[in-house]
Amino acid sequence: MTLLRMNNRRNVCLLWLCALLTCASARGEVPIFTLEIRDHLFYPSTLVVPARTKVKLIVINRDTTPEEFESYELNREKVIMGGAKATIFIGPLAPGDYPFFGEFNPKTAQGVIRVED
Amino acid sequence: MVEAVLLVLREILEAAMIISLLLALSRQLNQNHRWILIAVMIGLLGSWLLGHYAYAIAESLDGQGQELLNASLYLAVVLSAMLLSLHIIPLSIAVWKNRLPDAAQGYVQHSLYGLFIVTVSCSVAREGSEIWIYLSGFIHQPAVLESALIGGAIGAGIGMSLGAIAYYLFVFMPRKYFLPLCLVMVTLVMGGLAMQVAKQLMQIGWLDSTAPLWDSSFVVSEQSWLGQLLYALLGYDASPDATQIIFYLVAILPTLMGILWHATRLKESHYVQR
Repeated sequence: MTLLRMNNRRNVCLLWLCALLTCASARGEVPIFTLEIRDHLFYPSTLVVPARTKVKLIVINRDTTPEEFESYELNREKVIMGGAKATIFIGPLAPGDYPFFGEFNPKTAQGVIRVED
Repeated sequence: MVEAVLLVLREILEAAMIISLLLALSRQLNQNHRWILIAVMIGLLGSWLLGHYAYAIAESLDGQGQELLNASLYLAVVLSAMLLSLHIIPLSIAVWKNRLPDAAQGYVQHSLYGLFIVTVSCSVAREGSEIWIYLSGFIHQPAVLESALIGGAIGAGIGMSLGAIAYYLFVFMPRKYFLPLCLVMVTLVMGGLAMQVAKQLMQIGWLDSTAPLWDSSFVVSEQSWLGQLLYALLGYDASPDATQIIFYLVAILPTLMGILWHATRLKESHYVQR
């Protein structure tokens, strides 16, 4: 009984270790894409990213004023202070267009994440 | 200016609604209102600090500071709302059995004030900080700042008026109906905020996003005014993914269990009486 329990515990430990390792390896392979904000506009305004892949989006705010990256379709929102750099993880996503905008300047700051196979 | 009105209104609406609901609850339970002053003061001070140190917060913890802090504030509200809902269940039952005057005495007093203060101050701090950050962007453009401030004041005015209307609707409602309604509202708000916790953790890559379980944007789109209202009030999400739904269910589970437990006890006591 004790032996069984110890075995169990060791299996659980091994499982956790495997899970951790896969997490770590998955984290290392995340492709990185960069967006810039200049004069309340996003550059590029259309960003193509691979489908069904977790992606690391880096948004650099070159303006002196704060902006909020927001997207209903991507389900993301993040305040980016003037001159700051923000990291936002998105995906894995199905192919399609996912619009985003700057909540503080919604008229000008608009863009699309285009997800392609 | 219209942008400022909408932005401030969106931010303020959620906090205004939570405040009205809890103020009405404390009124309906014959508690005093002094806690609101403390809660709003802590909330405003907190919001200013969060806004003022936003840059440092965002840069901290490998650039994950903003999300982790937001997630903690959401979590604090979720937990206090959870405890609050567990308080409201027996009160709702008691009022239906015409037993509230006894049950309310000594039962509600101290713990409730603490829960009210945590809920309101954390909500005000988080919502308010975004308004400070938004307005800080105009500080070097006096002409734009003025119209943003006027717009912000109008937005705040509309939000607070709606809050006041909701408060009076709640206060004049018979206690018998208000308490169950309050329980439902607290539970829904709690679930919505739990989804926000999940969203923050997915944004920093701690949790993986999965495909949305459904997309109800053809019924109510998040861009529409109704969608935005539902988002502000109940954390409506047109296309939530499995992780968010799990967070939602885990958050409301204790309340559902509480209702079930009280309901079975009620049934048993009926049998005993017969």
